[in-house]
Amino acid sequence: MAWAALVAGVVAAFFAGVMLLHRSLYVSAVSLLVVLLQTAVLFLLCGSPLLGLLQVMIYAGAVMVLVVVTIMAAGDEGGRFADFSFPKPLAWLGVLAAVGETALILSHAAAPAAVQVDPALQAQLGAVLFKPYALATEAVTLLMFLAALAIAPEPETAA
Amino acid sequence: MINLTAVVWGTTGALFAFGLAIVVLRRQLLAMLLGLELMLAAVNVSLVHHAGIFNDAEALAVVALVIAVAAAEAVVGLALILRLRRAGSGADAALLTELQG
Repeated sequence: MAWAALVAGVVAAFFAGVMLLHRSLYVSAVSLLVVLLQTAVLFLLCGSPLLGLLQVMIYAGAVMVLVVVTIMAAGDEGGRFADFSFPKPLAWLGVLAAVGETALILSHAAAPAAVQVDPALQAQLGAVLFKPYALATEAVTLLMFLAALAIAPEPETAA
Repeated sequence: MINLTAVVWGTTGALFAFGLAIVVLRRQLLAMLLGLELMLAAVNVSLVHHAGIFNDAEALAVVALVIAVAAAEAVVGLALILRLRRAGSGADAALLTELQG
């Protein structure tokens, strides 16, 4: 199972390098998406499937859509923003990594975790979030609400 | 035999270093924001692994909070970048040298 973690780690580091070296912001954003999906795989292999699911839903599902839309909205600033093509070798590498990791995980049958984790740990997460960390949880909720206000359109001012 | 802790530490270090390099070396605001997200993801990987090893639910709670804060930070950052674009300031960090009240 550690082989799957090694594949996920190497692929994540490689695409992080692509983020640094590639000129196109669109390629950087899609590379970050691949990195985040690989970290979700690492979460799963480390025995935290719930956080892996959250990572996929929040980062890969919501934040990356916002990032790509912002890049497209800023698309008229010169040539470096205008290219929305993704290199095919990199795309195939991402697909191969996903298939390879799935095969490695499924080949070890039942539990996908690479470490022995107490099954009660995931259940304790909710209790910790809403008991000792309740204030922090509420603060983060308020922060997310304020962040939603940040993208609200400005009211029209009368001339 | 592969040691999972070594894999996690290597991945965390590489991702954090690349994220830091992106923030420092690239000049586009959007790229810098992506670098910040990369650094946060790197820290989360290490936290989740060690939460499993030490059986610590508080570390998992911190990861959940970091994910939520990172999402909010991305939304605010993207809104600021779009606002700068509309104001004609561009998306290049080197051009933003003055604050206006």
